[in-house]
Amino acid sequence: MSAADRVLNRLRGIEALDVARAGAVLLAGLLLGGIIHVVVVMSVPHFVPVTAYARVATFGPDGMFNHLPDTRAGAEPLPMLDPMMLHAACRFDLTDGPLKIVAALPPPFWSFALFNARGEAIYSLNDRTSGNDGMLDVLVITTEQLSVLREDPPPGLEDLIVIETTETLGYALLRSFDGDPMRRDVKEAALAQATCRTLDQE
Amino acid sequence: MTLTFDRNPETDGLAPDRVPAILRRGRMPGWPKLAAILVIGLITGLGSAYLAVDNAPAFDTLELGVWEARPLQGTGEADPYSAATHARTGRVPLASGEGLIFLARTDTAGARLSPACDYTLEGQAAPARLWTLTTLDENLRLTETDAERTGLHSRQILRRPDGSFTVQVAARARSGNWLPGGRDANGLVLALRLYDTPLTTGTGVANVPMPEITRGDCR
Repeated sequence: MSAADRVLNRLRGIEALDVARAGAVLLAGLLLGGIIHVVVVMSVPHFVPVTAYARVATFGPDGMFNHLPDTRAGAEPLPMLDPMMLHAACRFDLTDGPLKIVAALPPPFWSFALFNARGEAIYSLNDRTSGNDGMLDVLVITTEQLSVLREDPPPGLEDLIVIETTETLGYALLRSFDGDPMRRDVKEAALAQATCRTLDQE
Repeated sequence: MTLTFDRNPETDGLAPDRVPAILRRGRMPGWPKLAAILVIGLITGLGSAYLAVDNAPAFDTLELGVWEARPLQGTGEADPYSAATHARTGRVPLASGEGLIFLARTDTAGARLSPACDYTLEGQAAPARLWTLTTLDENLRLTETDAERTGLHSRQILRRPDGSFTVQVAARARSGNWLPGGRDANGLVLALRLYDTPLTTGTGVANVPMPEITRGDCR
């Protein structure tokens, strides 16, 4: 019997059902692959070792605005920051109480954004939309804290921008446009003046 | 093939111990079969997940010419791929109230941007109170340049009377609007950040001008 005959015999031996079984195994494998794909992709955000939130902690203590070092090639304080902006970041924990953020930054442009612990933006505004003559005056508060606060509202509550959130951990980021090097110290001083503190609830 | 020859419809029905073909044990025992399923599943599942997270597929992309923005990136509404990429890289997004980042990875002719080439940006930028233009590498990190500055912004740029401008992207200094590039960078991506732009609300996306990118000399 020649080799070709043996191969042919072998091929004849494969029944249609064997092919179907192999196909079923392949299909089951692909289905399992699909499930693994979805599970892995969905779980990535929960297993990130160094989040932006964690990195912000390296710039200074929580509960105050810390000036971020200049954004330069090879030494970016956080990824994807604009090198033509000055940044200050403040980490907060709302379980200690509502957070009051006040800043008065000079023109031509500044913006404010609130991120949760996963680094997702939950609130943002800029100097035009702050609606307070370019002043930033916001209160970050959980729903329960807000209902407590409403029973005995402090004076001036209606002038504040109240940001109600379900996230208790996060960070606030201030960006101030630094296009004019002559006025840089003014902007840095204004960023240093920005406050981010827990409101006393007594 | 053999099925058709060793069967006789008249005697098959009489054979009492004949197990139907579908219930007969296959040539493959159970364990190798399970192992094969597991291996195929792990390879395809982990492989495709890695590729997808490494290079998030473009859902919800806002395209203006060669410029691409992902307004939902870095928000709670982002698709799972974008969220995974975002979390893994720890990038700080521009939130919708701040502005929008547009990235260009190719020139207007469709060729990939290369740090070895000079490029000319020509035209107008989409409406925004302020914009900044920077050069990034493939991993979206700032490129090392010989110049003191790392970018250009809308308040220092020289324009024609109709508001249009020309920007030269080159490693060596140029006259006019010069955006310093990195000669030895790993890839080239141009980032145009529009601050306080009506585009973030998704209104008026039609007929919005963005600069065209044409390739100049290459080394």
